[in-house]
Amino acid sequence: MPAVLEFQDIIKDYRGLFRRRTVRALDHFTLQVEEGEIFGFLGPNGAGKTTAIHLAMGFVRPSRGKGKMLGQRFGKASARRKVGFLAENVALYHRPAETLVRFYGALNGLSGETLTRRTREALDTVGLLHESNRNVAKFSRGMLQRIGLAQAIVHDPDLLILDEPTSALDPLARYAVREMLLDLRSRGKTIFLSSHLLSEVELICDRIAVLNRGRLVRTGRPSELLESSEEVEVTARGIPVASFPSAEAEADNRIRFLIKAAEQRYTIERVWSMGGEIVSVSPRKRSLEDLFLELTGGRSQDPAKMRDIPSLDVPPDTPKIVKES
Amino acid sequence: MTHFRPIWMIALNFVREQRWPILVLQLSVLGLAGLGLLTDSRQDREDILLLFKQLGAYGVLFSVFFGGSALYNERRSRRILAVLGKAVTRRDYLSGLLLGVMLAAGLFCFVLGFTGTWVLGGIGFSVSYIWSLMVCVLAACLLASSVALFYSTHLNPWLSALFTGLTLGVPGAIAFQFGGWSGYILPVYSLMRVFIKASFEGPPATALSYVVVAVAEAVGLWLAASWVFGKIDVAVAVD
Repeated sequence: MPAVLEFQDIIKDYRGLFRRRTVRALDHFTLQVEEGEIFGFLGPNGAGKTTAIHLAMGFVRPSRGKGKMLGQRFGKASARRKVGFLAENVALYHRPAETLVRFYGALNGLSGETLTRRTREALDTVGLLHESNRNVAKFSRGMLQRIGLAQAIVHDPDLLILDEPTSALDPLARYAVREMLLDLRSRGKTIFLSSHLLSEVELICDRIAVLNRGRLVRTGRPSELLESSEEVEVTARGIPVASFPSAEAEADNRIRFLIKAAEQRYTIERVWSMGGEIVSVSPRKRSLEDLFLELTGGRSQDPAKMRDIPSLDVPPDTPKIVKES
Repeated sequence: MTHFRPIWMIALNFVREQRWPILVLQLSVLGLAGLGLLTDSRQDREDILLLFKQLGAYGVLFSVFFGGSALYNERRSRRILAVLGKAVTRRDYLSGLLLGVMLAAGLFCFVLGFTGTWVLGGIGFSVSYIWSLMVCVLAACLLASSVALFYSTHLNPWLSALFTGLTLGVPGAIAFQFGGWSGYILPVYSLMRVFIKASFEGPPATALSYVVVAVAEAVGLWLAASWVFGKIDVAVAVD
């Protein structure tokens, strides 16, 4: 798949007055977004997500490194003709919704009947066609975000870059936007989505990247990333629930508990030695929130401090199982 | 023509966003028309001419205000992002703003010229002279706003106005002191001098060369502003 958005070893420093203070927003940032995917871009506040988006749009320039959008260097107006962009905290001119969307459509080269039709389609898509004559100054924050989406899709772009597109939306509107994004993907469009709404990202994104303090800390498919290589869930039968500190009793005389992956073999042997039977051993599936907290320092990655799984007293000579990835 | 369309749209959008200051400016010109109606214009004709000149000077000041604040307001409000997120180059964007300022200044000069024709023309001032003076004011507005726009690419409106004042004032002082060719260095002073010196008695002064030089220098400043604006981070507010 060709990359539609490509960041190549980019460093972005913001310098204060007289260059006395420098803040590094992006640190050797490399990322590729492929055609036809919904790419989730995650990171805590100040991680550099918006800076990366602004670099792609050509609003800011990299201190080092380079990047391409739709095959052209960042900042090329001709590439932006095929890009729909929605900024975080969208700021638009105060005028009737339809006039406003027409204005942005015309800036991207639409005119005449096409402009009229596309404007009305965009307003309809975001559910604001019935408000087309109302001035956006009187819109709520959620409606402003929807009109921002309308101006982003009015010219039927190949690539959509959305910075927090659903942060102000109610669940119904959020669902509608999600459906819209899935529909756009089914039509071959690429979507680069920065969001704090992890559940939403988990639901619709084909790949995700996590950024922390300007550095890319993880990229991959959600299914791969959410599968923990450090924790294993064991279901056993025929042993008392008190045998393992974190065990919970289940139906059919079963117990279920989490262990560290390195203790897998020892645990299985222990269950057998107690006369029990292993029903299943499977890697623990984390939530995206767990992963996010781990990667961004919200939760320590140190195995010794890992969640509240009590460590089993594994004998030092027990061979460790190394999981092949 | 399709390339010019975004520039024209940005210019019209600028005028729409600045409609209240522009309206106030036009209303001030109507004060001149009111004087023509309410006073004995033949007896007070020097006072009316003085008011006419004052209004022309205000036009140049407003152009500096518009040119110096347009970009800053757009960046501060972050509205610039949605516009530059489209297929609009930074040079086109600046061209649109400058054209917007010139539309505002052009409207002002037209209304002032029209009112001047009606009030001053009726008391013996040459109508063609009034319109040639309006061309001088418009050229001065173009040059002054280009300087202000250039500074506004990297300074806030106050500093932009300060540096615009210095940039136009220093050549003006040199021209006042030495005259001759020095009057062609950013000739806002020279153009406004022609305007301020206009009288009922004196022969109409010609300022075509100053107008041509002012337009050429404005183009140079626009290119310089586009170059600087193309290098900076627009998503970061200038404060």
